[in-house]
Amino acid sequence: MARRITILLLAVLLIAALATLPFFLKAFYVRVGLSIFLSAGFAVCWWLLAGFTSYYSFGHTAFVGIGAFAAALALRAVPEAAPALQLAWALGAGLVVAGGIAMIIAWPILRLRGHYFTIAMLAVALVLGEAVAAFPIFGGSTGLALPNLAPMSVRVEAFFYWIALALLAVVLAIAWAISRSRLGYGLAAIREDEDAAQMLGVPTTRFKVVAFVLSGALTGSIGAVYALNLGYITSDSVFRGSLSLEMIVNSLVGGMGSILGPVIGAAVMTGVTKLVLADLLEYHLAITGILIIAVVLLAPDGIVGLWRRRRAREAER
Amino acid sequence: MTALVQTLVNGLLYGGILSIAAVGFSLIFGVMSVINLTHGIFVIGGAYGALMAWSVLGIDPLLSIPPLMLVAFALGWGCQRLVIQPAVERGNPVAALLVTFGFTLIAVNLLTVTFSSSVRSISPSYSFINLRVGDISIDLVRLVAFACGLALIAILGSFLRFSRWGRVIRATALSELGARLCGVDARAVYALTFAVASAFAAASGVLIGMMLPFTPAEEVTWTVYAFIVVTLGGVGSLGGAMLGGLLLGLVSTLTQTYLGAVYTNMVMFLILLATLLVRPNGILGSAFKASR
Repeated sequence: MARRITILLLAVLLIAALATLPFFLKAFYVRVGLSIFLSAGFAVCWWLLAGFTSYYSFGHTAFVGIGAFAAALALRAVPEAAPALQLAWALGAGLVVAGGIAMIIAWPILRLRGHYFTIAMLAVALVLGEAVAAFPIFGGSTGLALPNLAPMSVRVEAFFYWIALALLAVVLAIAWAISRSRLGYGLAAIREDEDAAQMLGVPTTRFKVVAFVLSGALTGSIGAVYALNLGYITSDSVFRGSLSLEMIVNSLVGGMGSILGPVIGAAVMTGVTKLVLADLLEYHLAITGILIIAVVLLAPDGIVGLWRRRRAREAER
Repeated sequence: MTALVQTLVNGLLYGGILSIAAVGFSLIFGVMSVINLTHGIFVIGGAYGALMAWSVLGIDPLLSIPPLMLVAFALGWGCQRLVIQPAVERGNPVAALLVTFGFTLIAVNLLTVTFSSSVRSISPSYSFINLRVGDISIDLVRLVAFACGLALIAILGSFLRFSRWGRVIRATALSELGARLCGVDARAVYALTFAVASAFAAASGVLIGMMLPFTPAEEVTWTVYAFIVVTLGGVGSLGGAMLGGLLLGLVSTLTQTYLGAVYTNMVMFLILLATLLVRPNGILGSAFKASR
């Protein structure tokens, strides 16, 4: 119990410390922080499904896109409302619409296992992306613009930095709560052996649907923030295969075995891309590729796995 | 009526290309259960290889197919041995997939640096000739590419069916353990499979380069098309890849003619999704390996 309170206190302190950073840092570094929080948020959402159940979705960008477009269209309905209300409305729209669509596709798509689920999610993302590009209500190939909701007195990047940080904290709290709940243990049982879990009385279908909808809805709400921060979205910018891949890569690099894995992975990968590789733009893709291969082959359980292995070795001594 | 027949002919010709462009992917998925994201880069690499041979050395694209297949075979072998096999041995289904993704990023980057990201195409002397049969016009290049594609599929089919190594590959696909118990070196088989698949991907790339413009980033398209063809037709069967490719070609041109070009990809992706939900093993597929 005491340990849990310590962890909670440390987490609150860390978040508070991170929240004060925009007052000291240059705009560029605040934007790097913002990208880290957004991609960490996405990665944790993806991990909510994949880490617990090992259902690897290859098309989570579908929910980013749904959230983004839901927010953009929802904001058109309330052009005059106060910015704070508009923000809540956009986030809610992303959450509800993405969650709703996740609920509709959950049952058929979760009947598939292994590679088939992975490919089916890719197909969902591709279909939605093409549909959004084809139908004029979504702005077609020109896309949609979103209003700037940041108050005049606050710097735009700092504003979104705080929102992204808050959302990341919420998503992490949800993931943490699930990992210590009946649901979390049920999902872990599904990951280890779905048939055995079902025979032992775990309501596998219901648990999977809950995890899937939760993952989709939360991705949608972060997608709304992503869109607001971009200010202008097209089908290509939010239904982007590389967004799905980033969630997977970040989680794998950080380590699938821990909630912190996706966060650490996102921090490392985004940090490396934005800070170290900024001057090597031409070879940026190749270096990212080498990094991915190196992590998969040399640190199969990610950075968290490396750390745990070291701790275990030290404990043996 | 003529318009319909014309559309169907175009669809079949395009479908033949989709088929040959998917056989390599199907082979790797069927034998190794690896979703091979490098597939598209071997296809596009083949197209760039043919472009080089044609523009620098003046070799006809069709003649450049055999040497390019050899190069792709060697590259595929090396790539499998060096990076993919170690990942497969980790036992994590996503590890292998991620490694192929990493390899693809590197290759796309190198291609972009070497050839720039601008659109290229190969147009040999015979590329603008149309044959007319009644009211139907047929692009000579497409017909030639179609014929070459069929010939290549036939070669691959007889290799798998009749040669010793082909039999070993099929045995390993059915049961790795069983094959190993019979004295098969599974790692060598995997390397061979990957190399053969890469060679055929590159060959299809040459044919595609003769028909359509290409860029390094285009590799994604061909990986995704291979996905759809293989899922529709059935994993790990050449007949499935053939059938899936031809059906998809027909669907694609029919949609383009009667619904509009913006809907072609959407309809193709919907077919992928529908196949997965209704018959995940594909039309001709059987539920082995990849479904587990």
